[in-house]
Amino acid sequence: MTRLACPFCGPRELREFEFHKTGPAAGGQGEFERVYLRVADPQLSIEHWQHVGGCRAWLLVHRNPSSGLPLAVELLAGNAP
Amino acid sequence: MTAPPLRRGTRLGSGTLSFTFDGRRYTGQVGDCAASALLANGVRLMGRSVKYRRRRGLLGAGPEEPNALFTVGTQAQLIPNVQATQLLLREGLTLRSQNRWPSLQVDLASLLQAGGGLFGAGFYYKTFMWPSWRSYEPLIRRLAGLGDAPLACDLPMPATEHLDCDVLVTGAGPAGLAAALAAARAGARIVLCESEPLCGGELEFERGRIDGQDSDSWLAAMLTELDRLGVRVLTSTTVVADNHGEFIAHAEPGGLPGSNTVYRIRARTMIAAAGALERPIIFANNDLPGVMLLGAAERYLARYGTAVGRDLVLFANHDRAYASAQRLLVGGMRVRAIVDARTDAHSAVGLSDGNALQSLKGSLATAGVEILSASAVTIAEGGRAVRAARIAPLASGGHERRISCDTILVSGGWSPALYADLHGSGAHAYAPELGSFVAAAQSDWHIHAGAANGRLDLAAAMSDGHAAGTRAAAAAGATGDSGSPPQARGDPPPRLAPFARSPCPLVGEKRQFIDLQNDVTVADLRIALAEGFSDIEHVKRYTTLGIGTDQGRSSAVVGAAILAELKGESPAIVGISRSRPPYQPVTMRSIAGFHHGDAVMITRRTPLHDWHAAHGGVLEPMGLWMRPRFYRASGANAADAAVAEARRVRAHGGIADSSTLGKLEIAGPEAAAFLDFMYLGKASTIRVGRSRYMVSLREDGMVLDDGLVLRLAEDRFLATTSSGHGTHMLSHFEHYQAARWSARGATVTDLTDAWAVIVAAGPQSRSTLAQLLGAAWQGPLAQLGHMDFTAGRYAGQDLRLLRASFSGELAFELHCRPAIAARLWEALNAAGLTPYGLDALDILRVEKGYLVSSELNGQTTPLDLGMEALVISSSACLGQALLDRPAFHEASRPRLVGLRAADGRAPFLAGAQLTIDAAPTRPCGYITSSVYSPTLGEWLGLALLARERAAEGATVMARDPLRGRNTPVRVVSPVHFDPTSARMKV
Repeated sequence: MTRLACPFCGPRELREFEFHKTGPAAGGQGEFERVYLRVADPQLSIEHWQHVGGCRAWLLVHRNPSSGLPLAVELLAGNAP
Repeated sequence: MTAPPLRRGTRLGSGTLSFTFDGRRYTGQVGDCAASALLANGVRLMGRSVKYRRRRGLLGAGPEEPNALFTVGTQAQLIPNVQATQLLLREGLTLRSQNRWPSLQVDLASLLQAGGGLFGAGFYYKTFMWPSWRSYEPLIRRLAGLGDAPLACDLPMPATEHLDCDVLVTGAGPAGLAAALAAARAGARIVLCESEPLCGGELEFERGRIDGQDSDSWLAAMLTELDRLGVRVLTSTTVVADNHGEFIAHAEPGGLPGSNTVYRIRARTMIAAAGALERPIIFANNDLPGVMLLGAAERYLARYGTAVGRDLVLFANHDRAYASAQRLLVGGMRVRAIVDARTDAHSAVGLSDGNALQSLKGSLATAGVEILSASAVTIAEGGRAVRAARIAPLASGGHERRISCDTILVSGGWSPALYADLHGSGAHAYAPELGSFVAAAQSDWHIHAGAANGRLDLAAAMSDGHAAGTRAAAAAGATGDSGSPPQARGDPPPRLAPFARSPCPLVGEKRQFIDLQNDVTVADLRIALAEGFSDIEHVKRYTTLGIGTDQGRSSAVVGAAILAELKGESPAIVGISRSRPPYQPVTMRSIAGFHHGDAVMITRRTPLHDWHAAHGGVLEPMGLWMRPRFYRASGANAADAAVAEARRVRAHGGIADSSTLGKLEIAGPEAAAFLDFMYLGKASTIRVGRSRYMVSLREDGMVLDDGLVLRLAEDRFLATTSSGHGTHMLSHFEHYQAARWSARGATVTDLTDAWAVIVAAGPQSRSTLAQLLGAAWQGPLAQLGHMDFTAGRYAGQDLRLLRASFSGELAFELHCRPAIAARLWEALNAAGLTPYGLDALDILRVEKGYLVSSELNGQTTPLDLGMEALVISSSACLGQALLDRPAFHEASRPRLVGLRAADGRAPFLAGAQLTIDAAPTRPCGYITSSVYSPTLGEWLGLALLARERAAEGATVMARDPLRGRNTPVRVVSPVHFDPTSARMKV
């Protein structure tokens, strides 16, 4: 996993990005579940990253934790799970 | 000492070099490695083992060497744990052996072993427990470990080179060369890294024919073609780590850790063709100097022209041993016997070139080589080095033999170098025909090829390499023709029968060494199993099998096989422990590169930084900023200076540089609603021209940060953050703006560097400012209420004046443009407001019970900090929902309190634990801040204390065992001074 495709900047090296957190379990009921419960899916992890070393955009990164490869990168725009 | 063995000169050069080993001078030849040079000088004892201090010589001739680890160089250029086999000899080299005291020949710690036999795994932890491990630790630590770390480091900084390629090939042996060639012909851009100074790998001694040429001519032609195709060939360069697809390679031309160039290689695909590592067969006393790997003997002969001994016994479980024996005979060594662990029947099965082997065996026999099949070397005899091999037939009935020899060459097969997998998924599969493990799943971007993929036969290895190169090039998008695979013919296939260790009575297993670098024996594996550590990774950690600088290169596979035998399981089920990067030892200096000293982190400077430095300000880091702790002119030492500065602020006034405060502008039609969500309490009720102290929470309810929020206009706010938190708070605001507010009207802009902030505090601050700022400011200054601000111009530049106080005095924050900061500061200083530093500020704020990161430490909720009113009045905000959790309301939760010594005099320090008499060993709180207050003439503290103990007037004990001080303290209000804040509201 060398590069993440920033929607603004194109494919950039991982070191330009900062991982923030793994998204909560889908359909989280209360605030406690939203904050503390995480999906542990070996094939898909939905994560919040920031392109701190570039345009500072916040990103929603879909990643396969088993291979480490990013599956999709989109802007975090009110679509946070 | 035996007479020096014969010598024919190295392949790599001519001429002599002199060097010292443990203070004694020796001569070697140009092209020698340290190991071959010592070997040629008749030196066999090259180190002592790390735990038992047993005498150790060379096992290998390459990166697998576990024994001959030297400390190289002198003083600040010292590098420990250098493998003698990797270290290229150069004039004047200073080598020292390790793990011995006082000398290599006589080691006192080895005598420890003489009495009670060898200490097994877990011995230390079970034995040195009474009265406590700590009483033994200093001595044991002195005896333990590999080489000593140098106390100073003056190694040169490596260069860094960034490379980008389609295919990175690691290893320039037959398979790696075939892979690089195929991929380059297909049009891919290639980087080829070879750890050794020369390309060719096994071709160095395995004389094969490739595409109708002898291997030397083929190699020369291929290197020319690679060069023509633009392949970047890096010799003496090892890929040591895979950093998420960025491969780190260290060029170490002298074989000395401490790269002169660090390559950071971005590759689309990687082909691991680092070959296979020969592994030993384990027998009793197999760690005696003179027991070596068969392949090592071949390399010492082929590359360095050095014979490893005069009288050899070979011990193997495959056919290659016969071809090796032939080459060693030609090299002038006497091969007494070949001990083959297989039966005759096995070695003849399916033999297509059986005749060739039979005639080879015939000619060996003619040369006086005894061939003992279905037999095993069971014990190496000798005191200081090998003198004889004891050999027993594996079937019952035969009789034991003893053959005199000075060297036992052992080969138990070859283990694919999976280490090149580095950080990859690392899944392994057992290959019975190899008696070892191969990479299981192979993705298009991480391919093992050749011997590293279990193809030990030259022809198979090269066609495998070619296929890998073709596949990798295609995966990287190169579409050219990769040409036809090379046709090669080398040594016949080994036809190996897995054989990990010789039969041995239980008591002898203490001397069957599996991991020579860590002194792990078969007996240790038994202990681990008996103690319940049966998983291979647990066994690794319990026994230390496969740890250390070599990460089990010669021991991991044998260890797994023996563990399988002891457990009665298949090695396929036992598996193999995972080795860790770096692949080869590297120095911290090469990892750090230019990131050392001042270059470790950037330094942020306020516009007044240079003024502080030039006027006796003692600067200390705060986050990335440097801030003055105190000014030398204020006092003889730090404590005196801080007290004098604090006293001056209360009596008259002073100025402080607060430019480091984070400053975020939040703007837009919904800015107020956004801040209502981001902060506890309602920003939307702040009137334009006013400010408010606000606290933000993490989503779990803990306090994240605090600061003042200024409402600049209906739709525009300025939020200040703590100095150390500015960068984080910017990301935090941006995160929630993006995640929850993106479609709505609120933007976040960082203005931290756009405004300098000078705080003028003290009773004289207003009058001094009035005198300084001019007529236009007289009215605003007189009318400005507490927490109000006003904006205007000073010296033609924007100036914002905020009346707010972190000291408890009448105080003003002057937000000015950096261009005029120094001018304004100097004018204030000249007008009698002298600077004060962070230490004085700390005194002032503790007197007032104001909070900093010691209290806002990520473990405190607003309820702990006495902000109940704020929580109740707040609309729904980030983190508020989780404040309702029951545990946050229990009597054991901390509460912010003030502390004073019960006798009104004794000092106490932050960090001390608070206890009650009934439970002196169970703290119910701790002191977060402590200062000596010149205003009140005694020590003051802030503490977090369990609510049930936090009633004002209660007495608790401040226990500070580290600093040897116990002080009875009294709980008071956190606001020690001026509780009505009369002073700052004048």
